[in-house]
Amino acid sequence: MCGIAGILYKNSQGAEPVGQSLISMLDGCQHRGEDSTGFAMYRPEDNHLHLRFIVGDDGEAAIEHIKSILAEHGATLLSDERLGKSYRANVAFEGDIQDFTYALENAAKLISAGYALDIIKDEGTAKDVDDAYAVNGFAGTHGIGHVRLATESEVKPEAAHPFLATGFADVAIVHNGQITNYWKMRRRMERRGFKFRTDNDSELIAVYLADHLKNGHTLETALQEAIDTLDGTFSFLVSTKDEIGYAKDHLAAKPMVLVETDDLIAIASEEVSLNRLFPGTALTTTEPAPGTFKTWQRSI
Amino acid sequence: MATLDLSTLSITEANERIRTLGEQGTDIEIINPDARHHIGVGLTAPVNVKVKGSAGYFCAGLSDGASFEIEHNVGWAVGDNMYAGSVIVGGNAGAIPGVAIRGADIVVKGNMGSRAGQVMKAGNLICAGNSNFMAGYMMYGGRIVILGNSGEQVGQDMTAGEIFVAGDVQSLGADAMLTDLDSTDTDEIRALLDKYEISFKGALQKVVNAGTKLRYAKQEPRTRPQPFFVSSGRSDYWNAKVQEDIFIKAGTGRYRIRGYGASKPMAHFNDIAFRKDLSHAGNDADALTRVNLETKIGGRYGAKPLSLSMPVQIAPMSFGALSKKSKIALATASRMSGISENTGEGGMLEEARQEADQLVFQCLSGRLGWNIKDMQRADGLEIYISQGAKPGLGGQLMAKKITPELAEKRGIPEGIDLRSPSRHPDVLGADDLVIKLEEFREATGHKIPVSIKMGAGRVKDDIKIAYKDGFDYVALDGLQGSTGAASTEVLENVGIPTVGALIEAKLGLAEIEAGDDMQLVIMGGIKDGIDAAKAIALGADAVAMGTAAIIAGGCIACMQCHVGTCPVGIATQDPEHTDRYDNAQEALNIHRFLEGVRWQMAAITDALGYDDIHKLSPDDLVALTPEAAAITGLEYVPGHVDLQNSALKKA
Repeated sequence: MCGIAGILYKNSQGAEPVGQSLISMLDGCQHRGEDSTGFAMYRPEDNHLHLRFIVGDDGEAAIEHIKSILAEHGATLLSDERLGKSYRANVAFEGDIQDFTYALENAAKLISAGYALDIIKDEGTAKDVDDAYAVNGFAGTHGIGHVRLATESEVKPEAAHPFLATGFADVAIVHNGQITNYWKMRRRMERRGFKFRTDNDSELIAVYLADHLKNGHTLETALQEAIDTLDGTFSFLVSTKDEIGYAKDHLAAKPMVLVETDDLIAIASEEVSLNRLFPGTALTTTEPAPGTFKTWQRSI
Repeated sequence: MATLDLSTLSITEANERIRTLGEQGTDIEIINPDARHHIGVGLTAPVNVKVKGSAGYFCAGLSDGASFEIEHNVGWAVGDNMYAGSVIVGGNAGAIPGVAIRGADIVVKGNMGSRAGQVMKAGNLICAGNSNFMAGYMMYGGRIVILGNSGEQVGQDMTAGEIFVAGDVQSLGADAMLTDLDSTDTDEIRALLDKYEISFKGALQKVVNAGTKLRYAKQEPRTRPQPFFVSSGRSDYWNAKVQEDIFIKAGTGRYRIRGYGASKPMAHFNDIAFRKDLSHAGNDADALTRVNLETKIGGRYGAKPLSLSMPVQIAPMSFGALSKKSKIALATASRMSGISENTGEGGMLEEARQEADQLVFQCLSGRLGWNIKDMQRADGLEIYISQGAKPGLGGQLMAKKITPELAEKRGIPEGIDLRSPSRHPDVLGADDLVIKLEEFREATGHKIPVSIKMGAGRVKDDIKIAYKDGFDYVALDGLQGSTGAASTEVLENVGIPTVGALIEAKLGLAEIEAGDDMQLVIMGGIKDGIDAAKAIALGADAVAMGTAAIIAGGCIACMQCHVGTCPVGIATQDPEHTDRYDNAQEALNIHRFLEGVRWQMAAITDALGYDDIHKLSPDDLVALTPEAAAITGLEYVPGHVDLQNSALKKA
């Protein structure tokens, strides 16, 4: 149970206030859940793989383990940083992302991996996470975010959204709802060699979409497949290094509303979140119809 | 005309000002609304409110008589449960516009979202654009007009009322059909559209109820009553109860409906005892003067709590399931004993409000009898999610009990076997529930507690949601809870026993390190003060009693409440039977029973050496059966003997 938000600056070169915009939008629907908050934010792609792990307050051993795995896989550590409960490592790496990220999971919970992407998530509200991680200073091109009220699982940073598509770079999702055929789908994907790092059904959406992208499908096609294949109630947002998109289940049980201008597209659970971007303005918004999907791409 | 700027006012401040200005007869303009939720909720003055911009959820909800104009969009549930007045939306509306309205005109000049007009009972919902799916879902009356396309499954499970569509009827819902317009329909609709300056010249199609699901074709046969006391006793696999059940199914060919609760052995407070010798507990009449039983329920966020003279409430039982006279008797008894009564899900009886000092008003998924004026004179509000006898099901009320008075109060047609939806139109998850809860607080000025009534199922998960969503207290109903009518399959088999429910609730709250600010009221088969004391020792803040109270008030427990011909005059609306019921005398009987409960609680507390019942704890209890020990974690007495390592072997 949660609120979601997403924004894409259509013509951005990477200097837009993505962090602050997401904070404002999520604060607008924080009443939907105060257990945890998360952000997946993008800046223009570079040649470095940006990794972020949850190592907790006492993470020295985990960090040493991470560094040894980096060395084993021929990754060069370029810079790193402890921030809150997380550890960020920028590396030069040219091998197989899936094997590499699966190996890294043995050291610590990998929550972000990408050439453009940084996922920051933790317990608490949007303001709490901003205070700990300085999210408001993130300048970039687009991003998605999430506020969460835990219903059946624990409150802990790794259970927060957004979810990285484990085994892939630059793909993240945020999700409102439940996937009722999660376990069946998960078993099928595990038989194909995928690994899942949480019991959260949202992680499956991310991996499912990323797998489609890897096989050459467009994001739009992947979203269409998801609507047909996944069972349950959901409104979710997905982001890649240059796109965001949504998919909505056939019953429209979870709210979603969007506003589009020449400069940006913003999507959220509630219009009050969109209005945080445009205070004092009456917005022309659209509520996506049940069973629909759409994507927006940044002009490059 | 007064102007309120929402960029400088909180929504609570704004609504207080709106109400004050409304009482003065001042029209109101709202600027910088920025799609905020709950604008104008609970306004009962006939003034004009103009919102310059967009509003969020529940705009104009629970209002009565005001005229609202929102220049741009609205979110979910615009005009929720309005009785009179109007709302004009210049742009689009989100899901369930016009939900549960009892009158009023709701006009959406753009498009509207799914399930429009869900459980509406009167009034007009007009959409100049297109509708999303399931328009008219479970509507009980009123009129919907869609000038664009209808969306899929229009009229799904509608009971009565009319839906007019000028565009395409994309598909019909269950129990809905197309029919010819009446001779006056077109003129009436044109006049209505003219009133709101909507031009329309085309043709209309009309959707109404098809009548396939409104009545149970065969009623249960009248059988020789088998009292609950007999039926719930221990017995073998084939017994009188099983024979009766098969006989009834052979006659009806469908699931069976009956009253009362689960009628079979299960873990109960009888399987728990107090650790100390209580053989002198009954000998000291002064226990009442030495023991404090006073209990406040609610007030987590500053609302005025219910003030109970002992930790007991009357459990929710509706006017409808019960007769008016028996509801009055319960209300009178609650006042005499200094505790609270609950309306149950059918609305607030005027006489019960007069008789009860403290009355909790319950909101059902079908919003039967729900209205702003009674909310504002209730002492507490309760959102009914489910009850112990039928978790996951909405209410059922058989046609025989639906008198003209009852139909008018609940806003439903006469002559049908009424079913409520199994879920609230505006609560599809915990995140929706928090917004709904805030609507109720805004409508009542944050002055009275709001609770949630849950049947016991996945208690450990559900209680966490209730805590995080911000309820003042939870009313938790175990499997032994009773009902006026439910399918026996669910009544007998769905849910968990009260003792287990209570333990799970305490465990769930402990897991999230919740404080004790949200209280827990437990119910379901609590039959006396001894059960109540055990429940409080296990961590309940109070208990609620229903079945025991109505037995005290004359119920013979024949389990045929659904038939509607209760010979005592309790579970019936039939004048011949209700005339037999002497509510003044039965109020006295119920009151005396409640005083017996009080005395039992005080005597046990005193005998255990405490001066306050809330000092009882699990340390005062032991389990008498292995099952009770496993469920509660209490020590099992006589316990286990490890024969191989005991002194007995040595000998």
